[in-house]
Amino acid sequence: MSARRTDKQGRTGGGRIDRQKTVRFTFDGVSYSGHPGDTLASAMLANGVTLLGRSFKYHRPRGLLSAGVDEPNALVTILRGEAREPNIPATMVEIHDGLTVVSQNRSPSLAWDFHALNQLGGKLLAAGFYYKTFMGPAIGPLKGTRFWMFCEHFIRRAAGLGRAGTVAENIRYERMNAFCDVLVVGSGPAGLTAARAASDNGANVILAELDPHFGGSANWSGEEIDMKPAADWAEAIVDELRGRQNVRLLPRTTVWGYYDGNTLAAIERVSDRKQAPAKGEPRHRYWTIRARKVVLATGALERPLVFPGNDRPGVMLADAGRRYASEFGVLPGERIALFTNNDSAYRAALALKNAGAQIAAIVDVRAEPSEAVRALAQAAGAELLAGHAVIGTEGGKALSSVTVQRFDADGKRLSGATRAIQADCLLMSGGWSPVIHLASQAGAKPEWDSAKQAFLPPAPTQGWLGAGAFTGSFSTTGAIAEGHAAGVLAAGGKSAPFDLPGVQPEPLDPDPAPVFEIRAEGKSFVDFQHDVTADDVRLAHREGFVSVEHLKRYTTLGMATDQGKSSNVPGLAIMADALGKPIPEVGTTRFRPPFSAVSIGSIAGERYGDIKPDRLTPIHDWHVEHGATLYSAGLWHRPQIYGLPGETVEQAYVREVKASRSTAGIVDVSTLGKIAVQGPDAAEFLDRVYTNLFSTLPVGKARYGLMLREDGLAFDDGTTWRLGANDFLMTTTTANAGKVMQHLEYFLDVIWPELRVTVTSVTDQWAGAAIGGPKAREILASCVEGTAVDNAALPFMGIVHGKIAGVPVMICRLSFSGEMAFEVYCGSGFGTHVWQALIEAGKPFGLVPYGLEALGTMRIEKGHVTGAEIDGRTTARDLHLDWMLSKKKPFIGSAMMDREGLAEPTRLQLVGIVALDNRPLNGGAHIVEELDQDNPHGSIGHVTACCYSPMLGKYIALALVKGGSALLGTRAFVSDPLRKRFGPVEIVSNHFFDPEGSRMHG
Amino acid sequence: MADKLGTPDVEIERQSPLGPVFQPGSHGNLEAGAGVALSEVQPDSIVQLAAWPGEEKKLIAAIAAATGLSLPDGAGGGVAKGGKAAFGVAPGKFMAVSEDDDLAVAFADAVPVEMGTVTDLSHGRTVIRIEGSRAEWVLSKLFAIDFSPTAFPTGSARSTVHHEIFAQIQRSDAEQFDLYVFRSFARSFWKVLCHAAEEVGYVVK
Repeated sequence: MSARRTDKQGRTGGGRIDRQKTVRFTFDGVSYSGHPGDTLASAMLANGVTLLGRSFKYHRPRGLLSAGVDEPNALVTILRGEAREPNIPATMVEIHDGLTVVSQNRSPSLAWDFHALNQLGGKLLAAGFYYKTFMGPAIGPLKGTRFWMFCEHFIRRAAGLGRAGTVAENIRYERMNAFCDVLVVGSGPAGLTAARAASDNGANVILAELDPHFGGSANWSGEEIDMKPAADWAEAIVDELRGRQNVRLLPRTTVWGYYDGNTLAAIERVSDRKQAPAKGEPRHRYWTIRARKVVLATGALERPLVFPGNDRPGVMLADAGRRYASEFGVLPGERIALFTNNDSAYRAALALKNAGAQIAAIVDVRAEPSEAVRALAQAAGAELLAGHAVIGTEGGKALSSVTVQRFDADGKRLSGATRAIQADCLLMSGGWSPVIHLASQAGAKPEWDSAKQAFLPPAPTQGWLGAGAFTGSFSTTGAIAEGHAAGVLAAGGKSAPFDLPGVQPEPLDPDPAPVFEIRAEGKSFVDFQHDVTADDVRLAHREGFVSVEHLKRYTTLGMATDQGKSSNVPGLAIMADALGKPIPEVGTTRFRPPFSAVSIGSIAGERYGDIKPDRLTPIHDWHVEHGATLYSAGLWHRPQIYGLPGETVEQAYVREVKASRSTAGIVDVSTLGKIAVQGPDAAEFLDRVYTNLFSTLPVGKARYGLMLREDGLAFDDGTTWRLGANDFLMTTTTANAGKVMQHLEYFLDVIWPELRVTVTSVTDQWAGAAIGGPKAREILASCVEGTAVDNAALPFMGIVHGKIAGVPVMICRLSFSGEMAFEVYCGSGFGTHVWQALIEAGKPFGLVPYGLEALGTMRIEKGHVTGAEIDGRTTARDLHLDWMLSKKKPFIGSAMMDREGLAEPTRLQLVGIVALDNRPLNGGAHIVEELDQDNPHGSIGHVTACCYSPMLGKYIALALVKGGSALLGTRAFVSDPLRKRFGPVEIVSNHFFDPEGSRMHG
Repeated sequence: MADKLGTPDVEIERQSPLGPVFQPGSHGNLEAGAGVALSEVQPDSIVQLAAWPGEEKKLIAAIAAATGLSLPDGAGGGVAKGGKAAFGVAPGKFMAVSEDDDLAVAFADAVPVEMGTVTDLSHGRTVIRIEGSRAEWVLSKLFAIDFSPTAFPTGSARSTVHHEIFAQIQRSDAEQFDLYVFRSFARSFWKVLCHAAEEVGYVVK
């Protein structure tokens, strides 16, 4: 006797499966077959396999509890090539050819699990086990948390879920944004009717269903709606909706998060059901749905009853048993017993009888079931044991019989003799819990309904409406009426007369008896997935954990991957009983996203392996073709060196610097931040944002400027060019371009909205090449048309316009390298054209292209600062830029820059460092007064930038040193314990090379 | 208006920033034909115009005089026809686009400093066009804005962002969008767009 596929076909005998086709898959290396439409759970049941997992702590054998998203037991790992995905409920896996599944949390095999011995130490592993056991002794080698760390290794092996993979998946995930008037979550009779009504009223509708098929309970209820089988009724509506322009149907889509502003998150399992996705098709698609209104029609989940042995394979929820028979044509057993506290299980019994099972007995805790259900029991051919309860289950890894005893539901007392009933399957029903997770996430506080024995959503608090079992309306008629009303209301439509379709058979009494647990000898599971028993809940109570939040954390009830879908309410009821309080006074925990597990890949989306975009200069391809090694500078890719074969980085930049200082060098400076500052108040604005004056700058000239933050610390520096009376081109450091732009926009928008100034990022408008060195002017003179470039036409900081190789250019004479240098700007689309013309023109003069290393070396030699020194902690004075602080006007930061702490003579100040042992220095190395390699301490500063200086023939660096200005000419040491670099240095001026600037001024 | 340098000698072509990633032909899943076509539009003029508060209507009139395109009042409105386009990108800020290369010069005279500013972005922005029945679907993968025709009618435009990449998007026809991105990001963005379009199949032309 075991589970098997039914002989019956059609709507009520497996509406989801196609019996004409066969699908082959493997489970733990064994080949099985099923039909298209089967879940892994239904296919395994059809093959007579009921043992699908081992429990979390005790490694007890477990089978299926449910048929849907609430499954706590049958978690499996799916293998895709080398990649593995653990903890997937077998009920949510659609089988396909080639599907490879393995069980988890067992060794060596599912049938024979060594760790099942854990059960014998059951008392030891009770609630709070970790907290109690692993505090560790107060003294000794394993004191405190060390003991925990020692034990953790063994515990992790014994307890837990599946193992995550370590191999990267070659598979796509994707993000999708959607907007709609009405999002309907759930496609049972309530959701379908709501979607249709909203669409009828002109709304754009998205209907999301977590199962592959729309229709929800209509697919397995066996009811007739509008004189048709419910499944046909549902299918007709789906067909109608499919043809509408304003409806988008999303099957296999779980709406798992409800966030502020009616923003919802959903995951669509696009291609899991296929052997391989189509080209470009993602595996999962993460939907961000912004909905004007949401209709929550998420239904209800059946609750288990808590009694000894309720976790044995073969014991499952009554509605799940009915689903397996109706949707998949699978009988969960040949001889089935039912155990219930409410009417709904009777319909399940009849459905299974009709599908071909023998119904051994219906055990009802209620003393006097209604006439209606007595008739159903009779029709099912079942012995009705009213006023009885199941107190135990027998069998090894599969159920063989259940033990029943007389039970008084009011006094919760067992009495009389026990009796065994042979059964290979026990279906239980402990009542129904509306799926209120999304409403709870949206901020709604659940309300206890003592008649329905369930937490119901309150009146809508946000942009959502509820319909159907979600609201506690457990009848199909009620669901259809509420769905229609919610759809109309959500669409902003007017209620029109609506012909409520007839539903047969008549609904039964939805209210269960308030019985959650049968207290008898043996382990009675509340949270199947985390192995939390009823005794654990009571233990937590005895140990003082009276708050429901503490109960949850102490026992871990409801904290597994199923987030307590089946266990929260029974757990709470047992706690309330222990406290002697009614359930509403004990309270409940709120739900948070996600509703069910979400793949990390879908959250990462397309960013996998391509985290940031590349920002490329207009001359990028030329650099690559000419052997540049590229270096990341923020998002930009910049040439580091143009190395010759066999050269080290240092050899390459030393060669580039020597050439630049003896003949000429050229560097791509297109990455500099460039901001057009325009308008009649542009000059006034710049006077306010820079520490120095710009209103006095003549048109056709540039000036070096320094900006402070409001707190008086240095912010950014660069040159700004006056191109017209009301027209400036500001340049910023590459790294700070975005921040400076935000800074300027903030002041214009918020502080000085009266200034008529436009700021626009024009970084990408211009390609820039800086050409410098003793031969730079000659090279330019040989290729520029339309303007002279001599001292008279182009003095230091002057700007001229001309053409190079037919392209209009703007040339500014300014210098970062300390050489006579020019920045040549042209439209980016002509960048490479102009660059190549400059390279050609420079050939007779020995012009070399140079990269960031050489650029950095030349600026260190000159003692110029960059972001390494303007690090958000330094002031203008620290960097010897106090000469730029105008005394004629206020500017951003001027009010704060003279604070005591910012004028301290002992602050970190910019100095030069020369290595006295002729060895390279490291950025970030500390400067100390006395060297102590064994106990490095006493830092007085740190290195910010370092290089080998070809001009000085020494390893030099810039550093920020406490009171550094007063230490020039003294000795100190570098102390870099991480890289084991220690040695003597001399502190010198930061202006290493040509301090008078004679080369630059020519 | 100063940062317009004048025109280059006629035979010099502007370099596309897309380089090797621009691969003409059909790509992706073509089982149902190509869902979208991708191309780089290369207008010679892209000009940003900004009006001081209260001067917006005059600027809209100046745009109409210079381009013949009548913009609706208010941010986000736009027009695209005959190789020209204009659209609002922020309160008082507009883009004007033309196949001719003299737009910045024309506006320099038409927009005095009391009215607003003219900023030439002809080289600074790259225009990528996506057209076809699945254009909305593909763009919805990248941008959190509503591309449906009711929310985003033909001619109108939106300023938005795909992670680090700023984009101004104009619906230039019923099934056609022009995306203005920073030139330095254009190659990366093109790759992202092609990747997103693979599912529906795409043609590069």
